[in-house]
Amino acid sequence: MVFLPQRRQLMFAGGAATVLALAGCAAQTALIRDTPPAGLPRRVELSATPYYPQDDYQCGPAALAMALGPAGFAVRPETLAGQVFLPGRHGSLQIEMLSGARRTGALAVEVPGTLEALMRETAAGHPVVVLLNLGLAWAPTWHYAVVIGYDLDEAAFLLRSGPMERQVLPFRTFELTWVRAGAWAFVALPAGQLAASADEAATTRALVAFEKAAPPGKAAPAYRAALARWPDSLTLAMGLGNSLYAAGDRPGAEAAFREAARHHASAAAWNNLAVILLEAGRIDAARAAARRAIELGGPTIDAARDTLKRIDAAR
Amino acid sequence: MKRFKQILAATLIVSTTHVAFVQTAQATMIGTEQVAQGAASRSGQDARNHLNDMFSRADVQARLENLGVNAADARDRVAALTDEDAARLSEQIDKAPAGGFIEVIIFIFLVLLLTDILGFTKVFPFTRSIR
Repeated sequence: MVFLPQRRQLMFAGGAATVLALAGCAAQTALIRDTPPAGLPRRVELSATPYYPQDDYQCGPAALAMALGPAGFAVRPETLAGQVFLPGRHGSLQIEMLSGARRTGALAVEVPGTLEALMRETAAGHPVVVLLNLGLAWAPTWHYAVVIGYDLDEAAFLLRSGPMERQVLPFRTFELTWVRAGAWAFVALPAGQLAASADEAATTRALVAFEKAAPPGKAAPAYRAALARWPDSLTLAMGLGNSLYAAGDRPGAEAAFREAARHHASAAAWNNLAVILLEAGRIDAARAAARRAIELGGPTIDAARDTLKRIDAAR
Repeated sequence: MKRFKQILAATLIVSTTHVAFVQTAQATMIGTEQVAQGAASRSGQDARNHLNDMFSRADVQARLENLGVNAADARDRVAALTDEDAARLSEQIDKAPAGGFIEVIIFIFLVLLLTDILGFTKVFPFTRSIR
């Protein structure tokens, strides 16, 4: 056993890590117990959330199916396994959990890593998928579960988790196991709804990824809802135009790009407007739009020059 | 041999997706993702980014297959990723947390039982933490 000294070292390091882990405290729990977040009910339980007990290692597909149910997507875990389960890793990766939800047609948005955010989402009717490290930092046991509510009087979260249809997990234990996994969580929403706790950056990131993965026609209503909340975002305005264009709604896309071009003086918006006008055979208007895109310069200037070339070739 | 297969698969995927790349280069609509990235790219850098992106996608697809995902599923899974996610996955696919309730090795069983009871962990459904 040549490896023995190394292994001892490892076990020693592990022991030290345990001591450190045990010294950790649940800071948010104390805060929430002392001063509960304003405007939240004492108790929330989304009891209509479906329950799928997990098969071997399949907590990823099971958790995703449970979260998708209330968003209006009745999918079975077995269907999702081919999209999110990774046999060689005996589990599911976070990135693929998000893209799996998006492929089904749900807008998957990462929410802030605070207990309050989880409470606000469940109070808004959104079950939250969380990654927990049920073990220790040096001997991790990664596990996906779904938060379906909380009880401030009992100081506990309510979860659908693995073999447990209704787990009552004290705030403190939840916080320790959740923070140990990076305090990562997301909600899966029907297109057109927004997360209760996510900011503009997180929502925009979610939408751009959604546009890429979602079935055609789903992204436009989702962008519209976000634009109503953050009307000054160029990315959201471009996303609306692009997703309408992809869904075959040329007049809608034209209007969206005109609005984006006007509001933001954006070269990208002028360029895309020019492409649509060219396709509609309105050559003069297309040329004017392309020239505007070139005047504005910026990183998209090569694309704009190319568009103008095609317009000149089209007469 | 395994590595060779990976590289071969990656090369094949890149060479077959190249056709799609040429086509998108002609359609000059500017994508939302490019706007969101703030597009800090001159054309040369753009092409390089595009190439990096294709390689990381090919790499992720090959490794998904190595980890037991069938070829058709792997292709669809990679296609659903953003450029940023594809790059991240290509770096982390072997070490990122994979939630799945992995079996607990015997030698840490007792430690975890104890920490469960203390409420620091929650591995076993049957424990109730003292508090």
